[in-house]
Amino acid sequence: MEKHLLSRRRFLGLALTGSAAVALGARLAPGGGIQASDETPTSPYALIIDTTKCTGCGACIEACRLRNHLPEGQSYIHGLLKGDEHVRWYLMVQCQHCANPPCATVCPTHATYVRQDGVVLINEKLCVGCRYCIVACPYQARIFDEERGVADKCWLCLDWVLGGGVPACVQACIPGARIFGRTDDPNSAVSQLIASGRAQPFHPEFGTHPAVLSYIIEG
Amino acid sequence: MQTVWGWLPAIYLFLGGLGAGAFLVAAVIELTNKRYEFDFCAITLVGATIPGPVIALGAVILIFDLGAGLREPWRIAYMLTHFTSAMTWGVWILSLFIPLSFLYGFLEVMDTYPSAWGWVKSRKWARKLTFLHRLPVRRVKRIVARVGSVFAVGTAIYTGVLLSAVGPAMPFWSTWVLPFIPLPILPFLFLVSALSTGVGVTVDVAATLVAPDVYQYIRRLPLIHLAIIGIETLLLGFLLITAFLQGGAAAASARDIVIGPHSIVFWVLIVIPGFVYPFIVHAYAAGLGRHSPASGLGSGIGIVVSGLFLRYLIIVSGIPAVL
Repeated sequence: MEKHLLSRRRFLGLALTGSAAVALGARLAPGGGIQASDETPTSPYALIIDTTKCTGCGACIEACRLRNHLPEGQSYIHGLLKGDEHVRWYLMVQCQHCANPPCATVCPTHATYVRQDGVVLINEKLCVGCRYCIVACPYQARIFDEERGVADKCWLCLDWVLGGGVPACVQACIPGARIFGRTDDPNSAVSQLIASGRAQPFHPEFGTHPAVLSYIIEG
Repeated sequence: MQTVWGWLPAIYLFLGGLGAGAFLVAAVIELTNKRYEFDFCAITLVGATIPGPVIALGAVILIFDLGAGLREPWRIAYMLTHFTSAMTWGVWILSLFIPLSFLYGFLEVMDTYPSAWGWVKSRKWARKLTFLHRLPVRRVKRIVARVGSVFAVGTAIYTGVLLSAVGPAMPFWSTWVLPFIPLPILPFLFLVSALSTGVGVTVDVAATLVAPDVYQYIRRLPLIHLAIIGIETLLLGFLLITAFLQGGAAAASARDIVIGPHSIVFWVLIVIPGFVYPFIVHAYAAGLGRHSPASGLGSGIGIVVSGLFLRYLIIVSGIPAVL
């Protein structure tokens, strides 16, 4: 057999090692990021949705749509129908503003980023519209804006929130199922709900550590 | 059903795999010194010239599938910056692999047709480039084959990593190899699928059409083909079985594929043309030492079609975890 630098065996070995390495990298790479502890809030803001009060009226969905000038049928909030034949209820899902967001990990251009205050935003000018973040969000909280060709999602109505106000969805909630407040104020309703353990993150097993959104689901 | 990514991503992932697989076939024949054992090898010629245009076409389709990136193309440069994203890895790998593939194709053509190389060297602009006249085409080609092979494997694997990296969002895509092996199976499945489509287009189609006597020189060809199909069958089987065992959204996806709304595409456009038929053809060929031109072509085309629909089916069968 001729002597050559890359024998069949070596080549196969390289290929297998390489593929194992890359596959291992695939397993290790995403989800690497800030591992927020369950006790320390990573955001001064909290939006708690009390599903025991939510009637599924959809006012939050529509308020969000109008506020953000979205077309008919599109909103940053969507409702999941839950329950069985005895009890039906709605679970309103929007961007959870995670401390460890998969969307930011998979975005190839750094368009999606996490602010210091834990709010996750999209820098439209960097987004190429590959839609990887939309696929990667385990809450399916993102939508694609066909007109501008970019990904889009709940931005917590930051302009109102920074001015001391509340997001549109919270304002619109008729049964008062949405509670918004500051976690750095121990007397706020949100702080007390979080401290009591009644407000819990949605799907904590995803490892995303939602920093702003949590839910009251009882019974 | 997953509706965010549809046909265009399926096509460019498929083209990436096809080009990578074809490159690897040519590179393996070159690096195992089979290339010059007979005067003319259609396999390496096709395997070397197809990847460049095919993967470039895939990249064009990827760009066309973008939203804002299509209208403001300079944004595509930003895609090179975020190394936690499998998409960034892909853009890097393709950016390097595409020129390498074109180079490999060029070198293979020049090596196969010395008169063409003579023509190039005789051009006015080429006469001034003295290094061209001393260029050892075969040696450079072997270097390109080695370096390119690493990128080819990377291209084939990254297409699987792209999907499996979304982790809990799409449980079917992040299905493990086996319930007790914590590695996603898609990168491996897509690597072998890429190899299979590469062998299909080079050996089955090209060799059947142009050099059917290649079987006399590479007697193990049918066995290699059978081995690849066999491994791919195992991996596809593991994907579906492990997904079933995982339960939840992954099991729902697997059910949709095997017995649900996607089952016709699965059995008629993937399993039969890409696995069953080529297996029969090459099992016969292993015994007889050759196969008829029709079955060779049929097997090759079947494998390529199957590869495309496999990517498409896996993409659209994804069911989000949160529903």
